[in-house]
Amino acid sequence: MLSGVNRNRLLLLAGAVGAAALVVVVLILIGAGSDSKSENTVSTASAAAPPKKPFLAGVPQHGATLGAADAPATLTVYEDPQCPFCRDWALGTLPSVVRDYVRPGRLKLVYQGVQIIGPNSQAGLRAIYAAGRQNKLWNVADALYRRQGAENSGWITGPVISEAAASAGANGAAIRAAAPTAGVTAQLIAAARQASVDRVQGTPTFILQRPPSLPQQLNVTALDPATFESALAAALQ
Amino acid sequence: MTLRRAIAVAALAGIAVAAYLTVVHYTHTSPICTTGGCEKVQHSSYAKLAGVPVALLGLVAYIAVFCTTLVRGVGAALVGVVLALSGAAFSAYLLWAQLARIDAICQWCLANDAIIAIVAVLCVARLLREP
Repeated sequence: MLSGVNRNRLLLLAGAVGAAALVVVVLILIGAGSDSKSENTVSTASAAAPPKKPFLAGVPQHGATLGAADAPATLTVYEDPQCPFCRDWALGTLPSVVRDYVRPGRLKLVYQGVQIIGPNSQAGLRAIYAAGRQNKLWNVADALYRRQGAENSGWITGPVISEAAASAGANGAAIRAAAPTAGVTAQLIAAARQASVDRVQGTPTFILQRPPSLPQQLNVTALDPATFESALAAALQ
Repeated sequence: MTLRRAIAVAALAGIAVAAYLTVVHYTHTSPICTTGGCEKVQHSSYAKLAGVPVALLGLVAYIAVFCTTLVRGVGAALVGVVLALSGAAFSAYLLWAQLARIDAICQWCLANDAIIAIVAVLCVARLLREP
């Protein structure tokens, strides 16, 4: 087949294969580098320099609910602790939402944890729901996001959960004891069922409810604080 | 149909797929999906490279491959081969990521894998036969 092909062309092709291989190696290294860089940044931020004034401090929590029970609107947030977009929202935008909407009593948030990324999410979700027994669910969810690793790399381990619980001011031993219980399992099943009702296809997904209106999915075009709060403000009008 | 035209047609198909996924990314909408894993893949850390959506990189690459078909000669064919082989190899890496790391399959990614494989074969053939 190649007998009629100019030898120079074959050399060019070999060079092209080598160049392509080099390009792909560089691309993969860039991807791996940006991943580890973001993970290190997040990990360092949580372990070495906890926020001077935690954004959740003083905000009422009860189980999976964050904010005043009598807030006029409820934003249900579907999350997976392994989801990188959820982490972006939780660490980048949630503090602004808490400051502008939850703390003033205009909105309460309800956490719905669903396994979207993979089986390792279950361990994180169980720890998060178990932390809800101590009214520390949102703190532990935040602490886990600060330690988030690559999807399905098995980063949600016992030690990571213990470390997250400790940094969140929760009782790690109680979380480990409650995580495998039937009560937490029931919460996971209920969240999965509600996700089906709300037609959740990915995370994060936001469902806004302001009685007497029916719950509706919050349409957000981006997860940064300005865009998200703009969409939230429009939906609350 | 000449090889250049065949590459141009395949590249246009790739542009369509990559453009759709780029729009989905920037509008935060859900891709049309029958495999059930598209959103999971699109929301994974593998969907971005140094903050740039992989779909956007693919779109730029397909446009570049298309542009090489507008020019005759070995130089253009060589650039097309490097782009196409790079795209095919990187698509193979992303396919591995879907199977081994993300545990989900995106039909749009599979469509792209088929298109970039065809483009790569055609580009190699063009390089070997270009007058």
